Amino acid sequence: MFEFITPLFCLLIVAGTFAGIVFGAIPGLTATMAVAVCLPLTYPLGLENGLALLLGLYVGGISGGLVPAILLGIPGTPSSITTTFDGFPMATAGEGEKALRIGIVSSLVGGLVSLAILFLFAPTLADFAIEFSYVEKFLIIFFALTVMAALSKDLLLGIFSGMLGIFISLIGQYDINNGGNGHIRLVPDGWDYYLDTGFSLLPVLIGLFGLTAILEQAEIGVPKGHSREDLKVGSESTFSFGIFRNQIGNLMRSSCIGTFVGILPGVGGSAASLLAYSNAKSFSRHPETFGKGEPAGIVASEAGNNGLTGGALVPLLSLGIPGDSTTAILIGAFTLQGIQVGPLFIGNNPDTWSAMIVAMLIANIAMFLLMYLAIRHLALVVTVPKHILFPVILMMCVVGAYTINYGIIFDVWTLLIFGLFGWLAVKLRLEVAPFIIGFILGPSAEIYFVKSLESFGDVSIFFTKSWIACVLWLLIIASLAGSLYFSRRAKSETAGE
Amino acid sequence: MGSLTQVTIDFDTSHLVFPIIIGTVLGLLGLAILIRDRASIAAAPGYWRHIWQEMDKVRFFGTIVLTLAYFGAMVPVGNIWPNTGMGFLICSVPYVFAVGVLYLHDRRPRNLWPIALLAVIAPPLSWWLFSYVFFLALP
Repeated sequence: MFEFITPLFCLLIVAGTFAGIVFGAIPGLTATMAVAVCLPLTYPLGLENGLALLLGLYVGGISGGLVPAILLGIPGTPSSITTTFDGFPMATAGEGEKALRIGIVSSLVGGLVSLAILFLFAPTLADFAIEFSYVEKFLIIFFALTVMAALSKDLLLGIFSGMLGIFISLIGQYDINNGGNGHIRLVPDGWDYYLDTGFSLLPVLIGLFGLTAILEQAEIGVPKGHSREDLKVGSESTFSFGIFRNQIGNLMRSSCIGTFVGILPGVGGSAASLLAYSNAKSFSRHPETFGKGEPAGIVASEAGNNGLTGGALVPLLSLGIPGDSTTAILIGAFTLQGIQVGPLFIGNNPDTWSAMIVAMLIANIAMFLLMYLAIRHLALVVTVPKHILFPVILMMCVVGAYTINYGIIFDVWTLLIFGLFGWLAVKLRLEVAPFIIGFILGPSAEIYFVKSLESFGDVSIFFTKSWIACVLWLLIIASLAGSLYFSRRAKSETAGE
Repeated sequence: MGSLTQVTIDFDTSHLVFPIIIGTVLGLLGLAILIRDRASIAAAPGYWRHIWQEMDKVRFFGTIVLTLAYFGAMVPVGNIWPNTGMGFLICSVPYVFAVGVLYLHDRRPRNLWPIALLAVIAPPLSWWLFSYVFFLALP
């Protein structure tokens, strides 16, 4: 059953976790970028080994963000923003190493709790989803998009971004393999050769998460790296596991919040850690200490953002809907190996499913050991100069984009187009996560929508097909109403201040 | 009521159904955004002027120009030695060096050595790894 556990499998997880920590620890680089850039490496490795590398990168990338967040007060990844609130004050007070160790242990617990939930919950959800017809499948995608839009900074712009992603995904042929008529649409004259099958997913992702991040850094002048003297590791460790004696409730609650946020499609780690942090503050007997070097704040933030890792895989492996931008790229790894993720995935690929669970487990343990035992040395990755890293990342982006479809130069141009688009989208306040999820799910949404209408010939089928459809509509309305309520409340609170 | 909700989709034009719906929704959303954010849209020239003033133009546009040149040169150079990945290898060396120098803050000669070393090592290593170990096509 566990034949996939080979020395290479374990080595790839450890190497991936280490590389992920490096990516996560360098401000401006993210776990998503790490997975996108390393995707072509998985080509010859096979699915299980390829996933081992990518899941290691994912866990390492999310965890590595705590290093600069604590030592420099700069979040290495968006998901470690709240770690800076209490981590940096602790580091400033000479307790950097203690804060790092608190964050590392919390990350491990968050990762393991979410892994347990993934293991228990994903197969059940997948078994349930197997019964879904095209109508329910379409509504699930619609629900995913509304949840994402509802959790965006701006509801209207969030929906617009998601719809734009869907629209761009429709460029090219109406896929004949999925029952379409094979006709081309939305392609300008003379571009049929390049856009016959539309924009490829992976060059789009590599552009949006690789090139865009570097362009953003270039725009602000590629800030100088940090020197060893900037790192506030602290002179002596005063860490003991006794710190967690009063934090078990906080740890478990924050891990579960992170996992739950991960399950919601397209919602990133920053939402997970923010929600976990604000909850920890609400439940604390001393909320006034938060933001001033309170260890409970680091516990909540890191357990929350690592809780995301398993949670985000739940909708991916049970419904085929990515839980966040990094898991969206994992779809690419499955596509490369010719496997479709969805309700049938776990049942049809038990070995791959087991490999993913084992890989996540080993990645979390490797992350803990690497960071806990070598934290003083690992902290130095923050000082790696960007003028050395960025040119290599750009070169790897090209390799990734070009090799993904066995050598199509238009994919390299796609990378540039979407890298520039990503930069522009940020300036226009468009939301990249809903855009990506819309782009990934757009073709499936089209097939499910059109085939439902072709089969039933009645729009009301989307409301009357089954009780699941009714529940999904209620959830869609609730997510939109909730978003409107919270945005109005936030506005009135701002006006009140 | 039943007839109001009934639709017939012609298979020959079925490829246009969803794009038209999504296009219409996009248009309506765009209109709603235009109306809601009219004040900030009217102030957009100031916003872009601020971005322009704050931007490190050399590094930002330098990245774009170098990347355009890199992508544009890869295929013609690669066509001289087809199916060898030489286009990637030959173009990556100056590209990695140029981008490294572009991002460097202190460009004294002694600081250029690590970048030169990187430019000489990283592209050949990737070329060898992907072409000869992973058997993947490079431009």
